[in-house]
Amino acid sequence: MWQKNKPYLLLLPAIGTIVLLFFGGLFDGFLKSLGYFPALGQTDFNITAYRQLFSSSEFWASFNLTFRVAFLSSVFAAVLGAALAISLFMLKESTNGKSSSIWHRLFQLPLTIPHLVGGYIIVLLFMQSGFLSRIATNLGFIDTIAEFPVLVNDSFGWGIILTYAWKEAPFISLMIYPVLSRIHQSWRDVSRIFGANRWNYIREIVVPVMMPAWTIATFIVFVFTFSAFEVPFLLGVTYPSTLPVYSYQLYTSGTLADRPEALAVNIILASFTVLLGLVVYAINKRWNAVKGWD
Amino acid sequence: MKNPLVFIKIILSVLVFLLMLLPFVPLILTSMSFGWQWPAILPELISFRAWDYVLFGSSGTWQAVGVSLLIALIVTAVNVLLAVPAANALVRNSFRGKWLMEAIIFAPIIIPPFVAVMGIHLTFLKLGLTETVIGVVLAHISPTLPYMVRAIMISYQTLSIDWEDQARMLGAGPISRFTLVVLPHLLPGIVAGASLSILISLSQYLITFIIGSGQVVTLSILLFPFISGGDPAIASAYSLLFAGMAIMTLLGLDVLLKKYYQQKSRDTLG
Repeated sequence: MWQKNKPYLLLLPAIGTIVLLFFGGLFDGFLKSLGYFPALGQTDFNITAYRQLFSSSEFWASFNLTFRVAFLSSVFAAVLGAALAISLFMLKESTNGKSSSIWHRLFQLPLTIPHLVGGYIIVLLFMQSGFLSRIATNLGFIDTIAEFPVLVNDSFGWGIILTYAWKEAPFISLMIYPVLSRIHQSWRDVSRIFGANRWNYIREIVVPVMMPAWTIATFIVFVFTFSAFEVPFLLGVTYPSTLPVYSYQLYTSGTLADRPEALAVNIILASFTVLLGLVVYAINKRWNAVKGWD
Repeated sequence: MKNPLVFIKIILSVLVFLLMLLPFVPLILTSMSFGWQWPAILPELISFRAWDYVLFGSSGTWQAVGVSLLIALIVTAVNVLLAVPAANALVRNSFRGKWLMEAIIFAPIIIPPFVAVMGIHLTFLKLGLTETVIGVVLAHISPTLPYMVRAIMISYQTLSIDWEDQARMLGAGPISRFTLVVLPHLLPGIVAGASLSILISLSQYLITFIIGSGQVVTLSILLFPFISGGDPAIASAYSLLFAGMAIMTLLGLDVLLKKYYQQKSRDTLG
């Protein structure tokens, strides 16, 4: 009896906590997005909030912006992170493991910087009167502040994209580096015997090996940027705002009537990320099945 | 290209400069500037006014540092207690519904935790948990716990059950088996999980703001108004302090772990 129930008992505290605090919160929010507020005497369900959202142009503008920003951030971070991981891996191969740990530590620095600070660093660097604009002026590229492109608090979201590309690239490289280190030195030698140069070797061996870890890491970055609040709030514009900021604006607008809408935005956001998660999970499972390792 | 090692080192050095050093230059300069006119690359006047305000002038700073660390440490301690048994169950057993258990525990990585926090806000209000440190601690658990479980699971994967059986044969009871065999092996995983948990807890703004209602002042809450349009010098000084605090905490954990291993190897030798 004990042996059979042991795993469940061991899991009970963690599962209980997550179910109560997290799924309880989701469920609570879901009920309220349907207009169920017993405290206000509203005990019937309706989908007014969802209907209003789907017919409002503000919601769709926000959705498009959020998707674009999350997509570009994760793609840039993925490319930069892979370049970092491959460079570090090549360095380790050429030096037989010596001297690469200092480089590792250096590149993890942006990971430890809180997001708010990361966002502010991008503001100081890229705003029109920022550090890069000063450098460009002194080098004679531009003459007035207005000539420097608007990259912070712009409606396209460049500031947000730059912040996340910078902050999440080390995360991606941290996720794929352990997978790369499973590649044996002998594989390089074999590939050389078959006449592969360095570039062939990267394309035919290194990239396929890191692919599953790479997609998962990129997906995590996508989901994270899709649902992040702090950086889009700091570096974005009031309209259009990303979905989490939009939800926050509705939630704190003062009127209780907007709250079901805010919570409906959240539920849509959460459903979207879950859906994406299932797709990536399915793709990855097939990959691992084909390759025979995970 | 003749010597690939030199080539790689040059690329890495350029990346280090562009990604790790350059971004911090304006932050440091701004924190020491006074009326820094565009397009000067260096501030005309170096002033420690902002640092003076941040470190000595405003009493809120050190209190906020204390509250932030207190919350992060309580959250991490609770996470360790919840995650060790959970990781044990997930790594060492196969049982019905395991995938569901994993899905529940790792869900907060995929589903943004602020969604749950906004949903539970009114219930917390009713229970009197808003504006309290306990409320904020509870709100920080779901975004951090999955990472702690993951880190400890990795440690459990390399811990064979034979070691514990061996200890049992030598007469160790369940408590000493855990403290002498299991815990030392899990320690690196626990430290890795704790680092992540502390880092995530420290940098939360929205969740802390919703549940703390501005009454629980962590460093993120204190910093926010300054960086969203306040005095740039003070904002930069606070940002550096905040980043420094995060880095110091992680380094501290690293040093503690190393000390522990040194102590251990000395014990075994002596």
